[in-house]
Amino acid sequence: MDRYRQSVSRSEPGCVVILLDRSDSMKLAWGRTGASLAVGAALAVNNILLDMCIKATTEVNAPVRHYFDVGIFSYGARVNTPGEGVESAFGGVLAGRGLVPLPELAEHPMAVREEPSIDLMPVSARMPVWVDPVHGYRTPMCQAIEVAGAHVFDWAAGHPNSFPPIVINITDGMVTDSPHDGASLHDWVKRLTSIETNDGATLFFNIFLSPFEVAEIVFPSDPTGLPAPGPDLFELSSPLPQPMIDNARVDGYDVQPGARGLALNVGRSTLLRVLQIGTRVPDRPR
Amino acid sequence: MIHSRQVVFYASKHGNTEAEWEDGAAAAPADANGHGPRFAVADGATQGFGSARWAQQLVAGFVGDQGAAPDLTANALYHWVLDMQDRWRDDPRLAGATDLQRIKQANVGSFATFLGCELRDLAGPRPHWAAVALGDAVLFHVRDRTVVTQFPPIPADGFGSNPDGLPTGSATLADMIGRASFARGDLVAGDQLYFATDAFAQWIAATDLRDRHALWTTLAGLDHPDTFRRLVADQRAAREMTNDDVTLMRVWIDRAQAAYLVVCL
Repeated sequence: MDRYRQSVSRSEPGCVVILLDRSDSMKLAWGRTGASLAVGAALAVNNILLDMCIKATTEVNAPVRHYFDVGIFSYGARVNTPGEGVESAFGGVLAGRGLVPLPELAEHPMAVREEPSIDLMPVSARMPVWVDPVHGYRTPMCQAIEVAGAHVFDWAAGHPNSFPPIVINITDGMVTDSPHDGASLHDWVKRLTSIETNDGATLFFNIFLSPFEVAEIVFPSDPTGLPAPGPDLFELSSPLPQPMIDNARVDGYDVQPGARGLALNVGRSTLLRVLQIGTRVPDRPR
Repeated sequence: MIHSRQVVFYASKHGNTEAEWEDGAAAAPADANGHGPRFAVADGATQGFGSARWAQQLVAGFVGDQGAAPDLTANALYHWVLDMQDRWRDDPRLAGATDLQRIKQANVGSFATFLGCELRDLAGPRPHWAAVALGDAVLFHVRDRTVVTQFPPIPADGFGSNPDGLPTGSATLADMIGRASFARGDLVAGDQLYFATDAFAQWIAATDLRDRHALWTTLAGLDHPDTFRRLVADQRAAREMTNDDVTLMRVWIDRAQAAYLVVCL
């Protein structure tokens, strides 16, 4: 039976979780942007959240449709209880919340403010903001997967017929808390991706940011020759399911069989494109 | 002289309310100049903004409910759609739009597949239909439980891949109109015309290959909205029909005029 074919609707909503690295190294400047990795990552996350809200907006005098439950969990510097750890990255009214239904997300950005263009065009626009750039401390990625996994587990149990949860990890560094609670990073990822709905296993994708301007590698199908930490992240990343392969090809990527949900050394606009490909699930069953 | 009489069946996507049906269907008798009757169905894009309004405006406009109905030529359709786009953008209901809704209206807009048909020469020597299609809404012309013409001729496994339709933005309109298909077919008393949006049309195309006698007997016998909805629910449950908004308009061609109007409450 085909998997990863369930369309997203209000009766069968999807789940998107973004793990956002807020470690100290995210303070580094991102290529020629003049802004830090943390600023660029937060901008991309706010853009993808806005994209999702817009997609679920269908008519005047009608609420944003509940197509997704969304969680953003940061790891590294915490804001709500200062120190190192994992927390919900939402600010404002949603601070501390785990998975938030899309209509509620649309209602409660922490601010609406002038933000620069993600693709470095010399323009800016007023847009809603849910997540601020933050950096500090180390990279407790295992804890982040543990926290996200608990939310994903409960969600999958409550939505057995939905498209499986999509977890996207945005990071610039190496895990610093493996092993955590007796389990390695690989073990935590294995636990996460063993959570299933009837439509398939939880998807875990990785996007690695580099402050240096080096070649981008998007959706590789072979770990051989990938720059560090590419081979490790390749092993951790789920194979792209067919609907996302189709999305990527429509967006111009030459995706080969066996391609993983992995992007290395991406720029800001590619980060957003990968987030868009990774969060676009089937419109309708076929 | 032959006559037509029609009935429209529809069902919204499972999980949506009836008010969220984003297809459109309309019919109108011959106008004062003897043009028509006309029929149209349209399927608004789920991911668009104001798709139900767009689909319903297109079908109403085509049958002449919003100004002059367009001729079935590419040039006439182009100018007619420009007018429809202006009306859609200037809808007074948009006064209450939120920022998100304004962003989506401006940046995304909407899109709809479209199928329009006019019956001609019903009192003359060669009664026939003429139709225009953009996308995968389909006309099945049926005689004696056999498909005489399917327009557009999309195979059962070819639905969902056709990108054609009518947009709310003008940038791609000329290109789209250039891709419109036109067709016509001769009519005789006893014929039936079925207009279906994609999910139902795909099911018809697939079922016609398996058991056309049962298919057309079933569709000819639909006599109540609940019967239609049960059929749709059963086929969705059996995974034989895509869970999407569905619309079926059935037009009988007959020597007798309709003797009565049936209203199902």
